Parts: sequence; C-alpha cells; structure tokens
Amino acid sequence: MNSRLTLWWSRLAAMTVKELLQLFRDGFLMFAIVFLFTADIYMTRNVRLELNHATVVVHDADHSAASRELIYRFRPPYFQLGGEIQDSREGQALLDQGQALAVLDIPPYFQRDLQSGRPTDVQVLVDTSNTVLGTLAASYSGQIIGRYGFEAALARMGASEASLDTVPMIQDQHRVWYNPNQNDAWFIPISELLTVITVMAIMLPAAAAVREKERGTIEQLLVSPLTPALILLPKVISMTLVILAGTAISLFLVLVPVFGVPIKGSLPLFFAVTTLYTVATSGLGLYIATLSRNLAQAAMLAIFILMPMVFLSGAWTPPEAMPAGLRETMYLSPLYYFIEMGYGILLKGAGLDVLWDSLLGLTLLGVGIFGIGVRRFRRQFG
Amino acid sequence: MNLARIAALAHKEWREIVRDRLFLALAFVVPAALMLVFGYGLSLDVEHIPFAVVDHDRSALSRDYTHRFIDSRYFDYRGHVKSERELDPLLADSRIRFAIVVPPKFEENLMAGRPAAVQSLIDGTFPFRASTSKAYVIAINAAFNGELLAAYISRRFGVAPERAAALAQPVRVQLRYLYNQELKSTWSIATALVMLVLMVAPPFLTALGVVREKESGSIYNIYASTVTRGEFLAGKLLPYVGISIVNSLILWALATGLFGVPFKGDPLFFFLSSVIYVTCTTGIGLLASLIVRTQVAAMMLTVVMTIIPSVLYSGLLVPIASMDPQGQFEAHLFPAMYFTDIALGSFLKGVGLEQLWGKALALAIYAAVLWLISFALFHKRPRT
Repeated sequence: MNSRLTLWWSRLAAMTVKELLQLFRDGFLMFAIVFLFTADIYMTRNVRLELNHATVVVHDADHSAASRELIYRFRPPYFQLGGEIQDSREGQALLDQGQALAVLDIPPYFQRDLQSGRPTDVQVLVDTSNTVLGTLAASYSGQIIGRYGFEAALARMGASEASLDTVPMIQDQHRVWYNPNQNDAWFIPISELLTVITVMAIMLPAAAAVREKERGTIEQLLVSPLTPALILLPKVISMTLVILAGTAISLFLVLVPVFGVPIKGSLPLFFAVTTLYTVATSGLGLYIATLSRNLAQAAMLAIFILMPMVFLSGAWTPPEAMPAGLRETMYLSPLYYFIEMGYGILLKGAGLDVLWDSLLGLTLLGVGIFGIGVRRFRRQFG
Repeated sequence: MNLARIAALAHKEWREIVRDRLFLALAFVVPAALMLVFGYGLSLDVEHIPFAVVDHDRSALSRDYTHRFIDSRYFDYRGHVKSERELDPLLADSRIRFAIVVPPKFEENLMAGRPAAVQSLIDGTFPFRASTSKAYVIAINAAFNGELLAAYISRRFGVAPERAAALAQPVRVQLRYLYNQELKSTWSIATALVMLVLMVAPPFLTALGVVREKESGSIYNIYASTVTRGEFLAGKLLPYVGISIVNSLILWALATGLFGVPFKGDPLFFFLSSVIYVTCTTGIGLLASLIVRTQVAAMMLTVVMTIIPSVLYSGLLVPIASMDPQGQFEAHLFPAMYFTDIALGSFLKGVGLEQLWGKALALAIYAAVLWLISFALFHKRPRT
C-alpha cells in the first residue's frame, strides 16, 4: 500500500515537472505571463477614474470683475480653461469635435444683478456622451457655481468667510476610508491583478489540456499507467504554482514599491485565498478543455466565459450597481468572492472573522465548479 | 499580388472555419452574447449606495436632515446604528459604503445661528463611486444650507421667505446635457461596447490562424508553394475580416434596436470606419500569430495586446481625457481610443467625416503599419 502511494506521488511530481518544463521552454509564453503580471499592471499607473483637467470654454457676455472671478474658479485639478469664445455656435462646434467637455455661459449684466440682489442664471453645457465624465463635470461645475453664489449672498449681508461662525450652516467633514486620498493608484492595479489571475487560471489549464488532444499526445497519456487524476492534477498544480509566483512578483515588485499599496491584512491568508481561487477557476478551464477539440475553439470559449466574469464581478463596478436580476448571478462568479476578500485583506485589513462568508461561498462554488470540470474530464480522458 | 491565389487561400481558410462547426458558431455567438450581457449588466450609474446613520441628536431637525438621504434615490437606507464604532464592521464587510454622523446639539446650534459639523464616512475602495457619492452629499448639504440661510435671512432681516430664498441663492445654475439628455449610461456603454467587442473577438478569431499551421506543420505546404508572403497573409486575414464586418453590423443593430441608442451620424462613414477598425484588430491577432511558435503563447499574447488595453485605454471605463500625458500617449498607441471617438460621434453626437476624418485616418495608418510589420516578420524560409 505504502509503495503504491509513493509511486502515485512520484508520478504526480514527474508530471508536474513535465508541465512546468513545457511552460518554461516556451519563450513567448513566459514573456506574455511575466508581462501581464508586471508591465501590464505597472502601466495602469497613469489611469485615473477622476475628472482631470477637463477643458471648459467660456462665453462671457458680461466681462466684469464678478464674471472673471467665477471663471477663475474653474481650475485644475478638475478643470482647465480652454479660452474664451464669441458665440454659442462656436461652443457647440468645440463640443462636437470633443475639444471641450463643457461650455460655461455667463449672461450680460451678471455683476449688476448680483450686486442688486436679483437672481441671475448661469448656463453650463455639458457633453454627456460619456456619462461618467459628463456627470462628474456637471456636478463639479454645479458645486463651483453654487459655492460662488453662496459666498456672494453672504458677502451682501456683510458676512465674510471668516465670520461664518455666525451663520447657521452644516459644515461637511468628509472622511474617506480605506483609501483616504481616493487614490485610484490603489484600486486599479489591484483589480488589474485579480483580472490577470483570472485570465491565467482559465486559459492556462484549458490550453494545457486541449493541446494534448490537438497534437495527439493524449494517446500516449492514455496508454500510460496514469489515472485521469494524474493527468489532470499536475496541470492544475503547475499552473497554480506559476500563478502564485506571478502574484508574488506582482505584489512585491509592482504593487507595493510602485503604487505604495498598503498590505494591511495577513499575507498568508491572501495567498491561501488566491490558491483556493485559482484551483476553483481552473475547473472552468478544464471544463472548456472538454468542450473543445482545438485551441481555436478553446480560446473563443475562454473569452466567452472570461469577459462577463471580469466585468460583472465587481472588479469594475460594485454589486449594488448591478441591475436587480443580474446582482444574484454575481454570486455564481468566483471572482466576486475573490475580489471581496482581495480588497478586504489588502486594503481594509479584514480577517477571517469578517470574510468567512465570502470564503465559504468561494469554497462551495469552487468545489462545485472543480467537481464538474473534473467529472467531465475523467469521462473524456479516462 | 495574384488575386486568384489570394482568393484560393481565403477560400481554403473559409472552408476550414466552416467545417469547424463549434468555432464558426462561436465566431458569431460570442460577440453578440458579450454585447447582450454587458449591455444589460454593466451599469455606471452611481445609485443605491447602501448607507447607515448615526444620529446623536435625535431632534426634529436632524430627522429632517437625515431623511434627505433616506428619501434620495441615490442612497439605500440600511438603518440607524448607535455609535461610530458599530460602523467599522459594516464598512469592512461592504454592507454599507457610506455613513452619516449627526453630532449632538445639531438642532440647538443651528437654531441659535451657529454652524454644526456633520461627518460623512465614505468607503474609498471604488474611487469613482466615492467621489460621486461625495458630490451627492455636497449637493444635499448645499440645498439644506440654502434653506437654512434663507430662513435665517428672513428671520434676521425680516423679509418675506421668497425674497430671502432669492437673496440666499443669487446665482442659479442651468445645466444642459448635450448628446445624452437623460444621462442614460446605457447609451454610452452600448456605444463603447461596439468598440470593446470588436477589439476582443476578432483578434482571438485570427490569433491561432498562422501558428496552428506552424504547429501542425501544414505551413510547409505554403513554404513550398508559389504563394508569396503578401498573398498568404491577405488570404489568411480576409475571412476573419469578413466575419468581423458581419459582426460589426450585428452589434450596430443590437445597439440601436435593442438598447435604443440613437444613431445620428453618417451610416456610410461609420461602416467604412468599422471596416478599417476590424482590419486593425484582426491584424493584431495575425501579428500575435506570426511572432510566436505555439498556440498557447499566441493566446496569451493576444490577451496582452487586446483585453487589457481595450479596458484601460479605450475610454469605456476610464476617460482618456483624465489621464496624465504619459497615459494619453500610451492610449494613442492602441486603436481602441480612435474608434471610441468615432462611435460616440456617429451614434450620439451626429458628426461625420468632417469632424472625425483624423481618427479614421489614424486607424488606417495603424492598419497599414500592422500589415507592414506582419509582412516583415513572416518568412517563407524560417531560420529554425
């Protein structure tokens, strides 16, 4: 009995080494893997989800001190002034060409009305063809103009900013948690890393298995004394090892030194969760492998499964932003649990006491997915 | 270039595609399915932000104030808690993303003409949503402050409430939204999806085309034949470009028919731009296929060259205008960005060749450069 167990282990080890060798000897593949885990994540450092230097052009029909004062409040970082225009047609043309994001239109007699206490209307035209930018630009310009009006009203009553203590008003004190500067520089690379892990965990095992079918080497494996488990497990183990190594490289060479991501939680827990996730997701890869006869099919099937998983998992939008029907299907995506735990451990410093339900969800789902993948695999390769 | 030979090669490639039933089906099903799933599922509207309230004052005014959040469609009320300490686990577990803390003596201070500090705690994990949430809070506070100030003015100076309201808000803002008046993010997303799907699906179709022949050895038939390099590449690419053009029409139909996106621009211009764009994206797949020796490597290289840049550098989730110069430079290296502008311009803005010729030209140059690189990299007498 004991010798059979040793034999089993040595076969497993030999097959795992074979898979790893096959991977390492493919120069371009190694390049792509290393690139995805390092350079690709490094490239996200330029990406911001915040309004940044959006161009505002101004049509100023008043040319007074008051209108100038208002115009100069459209400043970086959110806005930058793109110059003055003579009529609204010119503004429309600039918006059409995408040269400006908003047009600020100040009416004649703006200053006179302001001083005499008559209400006056300032118009802002916003390009909302991209709703994310459009909404932000609209809300920020609304804030700037509202604030200006508020101060003008206080000034008329003889109260200045300094004597605000005598006016009843709510003073906002915002505190942003976990990411105090609302640093995209933390959010984006982490979601990128989780995406890369997902891509690899599906594509590498799928490719490793389909390749054997396509090239006919599966025949050799079938006549060997290997059981289906011994064909399948080494593929999963070797790919998981590669992904874990890539994750470690990415974490310690890119995320921490370049982006300054704080690792608030436990690292062993993070890697344990990553292992669980990778193994669970590789079940999907094995499932794809059993459906397809060649890699071209496998590749199409892989993006068919990958893209919805990545986009609808919360990597880019949190669950509460999903429409009602789809929110429930998110619970079927292993990436959803992985993201909850990934952000939780790295940024929030959460431990198992908070994350146990996500871990349970991932485990159950993982057992399910992996089980189905293995079952189909055994039937085909057994 | 011998057209008959190109046609023969394209025919051979086409037969290979058609005989692989599953692949042929996936070539058309995958783009349409991605469009459907994302069109319905991907929402960038910041609504239903789950939040909790800590009310240390429990007065009529504090109830009035917190109800502005509870009644807002942007926030989902999840209950009151007793103290700030109880908020920690809720935020850590993502049960709430926002909390508002009303201090003691809130009503007393405001009624006595003194300011009161209200604290809002926001989960910053999703920065775009955090800044939008903050903007909502500021807007609600500004409205509340305006009313407080108007009431104060009317009490202190003895003017009528309407006059006091005008005095408190001397400048009114009229916001006009162009191109997408109702701020439907579906319109933006469905338009950008045409770009995204055509960036991802065609390269994956093409990516294995050449390397498959290298792996199976059938490429030696080509090496030994009279077919020239250019003819081989053109024949390889044509069927995939054809499939992708059909897909671009299907995506267009889904965007306008199913998601109700208006198409205001020039159909012919948009069609021609789409043809150039899919030539670019299939070209990327072809290039990946030429560089590598194994199919797995071609797949991963295609991921590197398509999925990642199309997400980051296309303007779908991340506006290009808000990147720093280096990021903008990197964005200009990928074709996705130009086509996003063309798609948004054609669908929503109703502009055509006159405004967008520069972007179309950039795509054409991109396609030409890809073609030249592929041509230079493909040899009928490989060194190994």
